[in-house]
Amino acid sequence: MSTTTAPATVDTSAPGVPLSRLVRVEVRKAFDTRAGFWFSTSILILCALALTFFVSFVPIDTLTFTNSTGVAGGVLGYFLPIIPILLVTSEWGQRTGLVTFTLEPRRSRVVLAKFAAGVIISLAVIVVAFALAAGILGIGSVFRDGSVDWSISGHLIFNFVLSNVIGVFLGFAIAMLLMNSPAAIVGYFVYSLVLPIVVGIVSGLVEWFRDLAPWIEFNTAQNPLFTGDMSPTGEEWAQLATSGLIWLVLPLTFGVLRLLKSEVK
Amino acid sequence: MITVQNLSKSYGSFRAVDDVSFTCRPGAVTGFLGPNGAGKSTTMRIIAGLTPQDSGQALVSGVPYREVPNPGTQVGVLLDASAQHAGRTGREILTIGARTMGLPLTRVDEMLELVSLTDSESKRRVRNYSLGMRQRLGIAHALLGDPKILMLDEPANGLDPAGIHWMRSLLREYANRGGTVLLSSHLLHEIQIIADEIIVIGNGKIVRQGSKDELLDAAGTYVQAEDPSALARALTAAGLTASPQGQGLATEATPLEVGRAAAAAGVVLVELRKADGEGLEEMFLQLTAPNQRDQFTNGVPA
Repeated sequence: MSTTTAPATVDTSAPGVPLSRLVRVEVRKAFDTRAGFWFSTSILILCALALTFFVSFVPIDTLTFTNSTGVAGGVLGYFLPIIPILLVTSEWGQRTGLVTFTLEPRRSRVVLAKFAAGVIISLAVIVVAFALAAGILGIGSVFRDGSVDWSISGHLIFNFVLSNVIGVFLGFAIAMLLMNSPAAIVGYFVYSLVLPIVVGIVSGLVEWFRDLAPWIEFNTAQNPLFTGDMSPTGEEWAQLATSGLIWLVLPLTFGVLRLLKSEVK
Repeated sequence: MITVQNLSKSYGSFRAVDDVSFTCRPGAVTGFLGPNGAGKSTTMRIIAGLTPQDSGQALVSGVPYREVPNPGTQVGVLLDASAQHAGRTGREILTIGARTMGLPLTRVDEMLELVSLTDSESKRRVRNYSLGMRQRLGIAHALLGDPKILMLDEPANGLDPAGIHWMRSLLREYANRGGTVLLSSHLLHEIQIIADEIIVIGNGKIVRQGSKDELLDAAGTYVQAEDPSALARALTAAGLTASPQGQGLATEATPLEVGRAAAAAGVVLVELRKADGEGLEEMFLQLTAPNQRDQFTNGVPA
């Protein structure tokens, strides 16, 4: 600051905050509290425990690398979407949004940065989970009689990453819609645990709904990614697209539009 | 420079901010004074682009806040010292701010030193901070980007008297270097210590604004005479209204008018002065009384 008395002016031609910087800050914010750090760490610890149990006790002929990644994927599938949920909702629960949106008033860029940070963190967790699956299977195979099938298809890896990115997207959409940590986490578990059961029951009873379900219900639509030959048909991709529109695009669009207009308190 | 023109904001039928206009000029500390719920925070949130206004405009150096690029480096804002993640350390909060603004991390240490937060305090989590420490951290955060304009909502809240005087010298120096400062308070005492210009707001409306000296003059005169009844007669004869206060009389007239009236009547004065402190306090209570949440009562009989 200069020592002379000069009129204070605002420089509108100065560079804005680049998106890359916002993304780095958001990644940092996901780990710089005990809660944030331990949440991500706990997911990986849970992964390791599930894998250890799996490698120790399943029959040797089902002990394959494909199945091991499936175990890790099961754990991630449930908990990974909570990372983007907390990234979004903590701005309201802890009221840090007051500072965040004062330092970057272009709110859509904050949303974009949070989404990117959620994807980056999730991909990193997925990579570590894959490494855990390989490592624990490798150690386990030494102690088990028989040989382990290490083959894995590119399809499977692609679907694994795709479904987890979809999960992150979904957690993000629910969080943007509800703007509240407990509500968003409960909402996510209702979606991922309760909804498929209800859809299953109704589909068993009502024939026309059974045909309709994969078009409108996102869990059902994702089944072809993990069953059969794991390569969805054209119709199944179309079902993923329509149900994805309902469960991802609509809540996210509504949430973003509301954030852009609303008051940050 | 902060310019607010005809700003209004309603929540349902409640007019939180009602046709508010004022200017904060560079080189001065402007105090925004009003009782709780008067519309100070809403006005400041509108200036910072966090709350959309219904009508009117708020500009920082002629530009809406939301159009200021990397605003942290040009406008320092503290709206609520407690609106921080309780699980982050003070140092981490400043680090996040510095990283967002693209500043070297040495700024974090400089600011911690400026607001007298020690190294070990800076490594404590904010949930363990006193309100005074949170305010210091918030002021450090607002100053992080070396902005030319500062806007602080209730920054003295929770500071001890020494802290308030520290803040006065900090803001005074800042304003002397050409900075613009807008700070709010619901306590006249704080504003009187820190501000040069005062804007009084009640029920969403500006009820008075001007320099501190102007408002002090407007607060009237305190006068005491050897013969109180002779003084009262002299003032009445001069057309000045006065009311008893302590040993003497309080009047809205200036000391000059009172002195002339006393001299004309040959009344011996023992004290004649501007009704400073208490006078301004009384003015503040008067100005805001109809707008206060709690109505004043004239004491309860024992």
